[in-house]
Amino acid sequence: MKFGPLVFLAAFLGLSASWYGLVLTPQVQLGRATQETNSVVKTELYPVGRPGLAREGLEVYRANGCAYCHSQQVEQKGTLIDVVLTEVGTNSMNVANALNEAHVGDGKFNGPSVGAGLPKPVLKGATIENASVLANVLKKAGATAELHLVPTGSDIERGWGMRRSVAQDFISDATVMPGSLRVGPDLANVGARLPDLNWQLVHLFNPAAVTKGSPMPPYRFLFERRKIGKQPSPDALKLMGEFAPAAGYEIVPKPEAKALAAYLISLRSDVPLYEAPLTPPPAPAAATNAPAK
Amino acid sequence: MNSPTNQPASNAPDSSAKAPALPIWLIIVFFMLLYWGAVYFDEHGGWFDAQIYSPYVSAEQLKTYQVGGGPNVFEQGRQVYGRTCFTCHGAAGMGQPGTFPPLAGSDWVNEEQPGRMIRLVLQGFSGPGLKINGQPFNTGGAMVPWNSLSDDEIAAVITFVRGNKEWGNKAGPVTPAQVAAIRAKVKSHSQPFSPTELEAISPAD
Repeated sequence: MKFGPLVFLAAFLGLSASWYGLVLTPQVQLGRATQETNSVVKTELYPVGRPGLAREGLEVYRANGCAYCHSQQVEQKGTLIDVVLTEVGTNSMNVANALNEAHVGDGKFNGPSVGAGLPKPVLKGATIENASVLANVLKKAGATAELHLVPTGSDIERGWGMRRSVAQDFISDATVMPGSLRVGPDLANVGARLPDLNWQLVHLFNPAAVTKGSPMPPYRFLFERRKIGKQPSPDALKLMGEFAPAAGYEIVPKPEAKALAAYLISLRSDVPLYEAPLTPPPAPAAATNAPAK
Repeated sequence: MNSPTNQPASNAPDSSAKAPALPIWLIIVFFMLLYWGAVYFDEHGGWFDAQIYSPYVSAEQLKTYQVGGGPNVFEQGRQVYGRTCFTCHGAAGMGQPGTFPPLAGSDWVNEEQPGRMIRLVLQGFSGPGLKINGQPFNTGGAMVPWNSLSDDEIAAVITFVRGNKEWGNKAGPVTPAQVAAIRAKVKSHSQPFSPTELEAISPAD
């Protein structure tokens, strides 16, 4: 073979270049990633580790091949900005004029009414450049405005997440389950979307009982149908109508089902991060009134 | 009888062995594509930065999207309040009559300059003679210093208390830089302030 060393060298260079680009560089960049600060609430770290039961649930998820039909990665096409007027300040005439000169909204702001119903968005779906310009104009007029980041994209419109998935979302798992097919919905944020444990368990036992026409196969082998003893089990599924077991029987989740449901509920990626910024929706009043202890 | 067709093949130059010249237009197209690819990568690739994900294309651009500052300091302050201040001053900032002073509507909170309030949080207070809105307030205890909190946390919680419209407070926000400046000034003051000492200090200082 006349060009043996040359062929060897070329193959070696080709392979090592791809190893460098696909394995070594990502490992150096992300391999030792640790918790990151929530970009809005700077005292919170993300991600919080999964509870022990949820870690077991990851293995159940893996063993049952959930990743063949469910992805865990949300796509994002862009980020739009809403300019929200929060305070008008002392000179509402100035603010109204500034808004009218900026040609936002219907262009009919007037001094006395511009401060009504605050906070209110005065410009929606703008680019960051236009939004910053308007915010500066408002600031000069003595008003206060907030810029709200609104990630966009078909996944986000479906309610599958609030922002795109990034590497940080996966660092607490030893085996990541990003998936690639979407026979079923994306699960990156399912814990925020469907946090009800009984819903998750019933859905695993019989998907059709909660989602009509669901193509998902039932995972009945994760449950036990048994005679009710002296006391009904507190874990027994709350099944309605035609899906309810015969009288005197109950459906009880096995430990695998409990772990899998705990894992699903622990899946949430709605925390604003530096690399995936977003403005979280206002917290519900009930949650803010109860201080964290 | 030497016709060219009868010549042995080995003597004839093998025309097919010579590589045909690449047409010049193909080379030009190739380099144009290469150039376009390089420009596209430069504009969209993020230069292999681990923090750049689409739809963002560069570190500078991503930085312009970090606008979550203003309102969220307030929410951060709400959290700090829940961890530290809530126990005494209450969820509604009303305190407890005779024991813990109210924050809602208090003149100490609503001063235009936050100097005294930052000192209060950093160094605490003890001693008699506290007045709230001109009325004497008999406090049974003292306030512990919270200088273990970071500048960011203190700025956030003071911003939350001062700007809390639900409590009827309307004072402006406080920056971590203001807290840091006062933290440096009160370093020499190891004891909690007494109310008279605080009143002697100019709020703007």
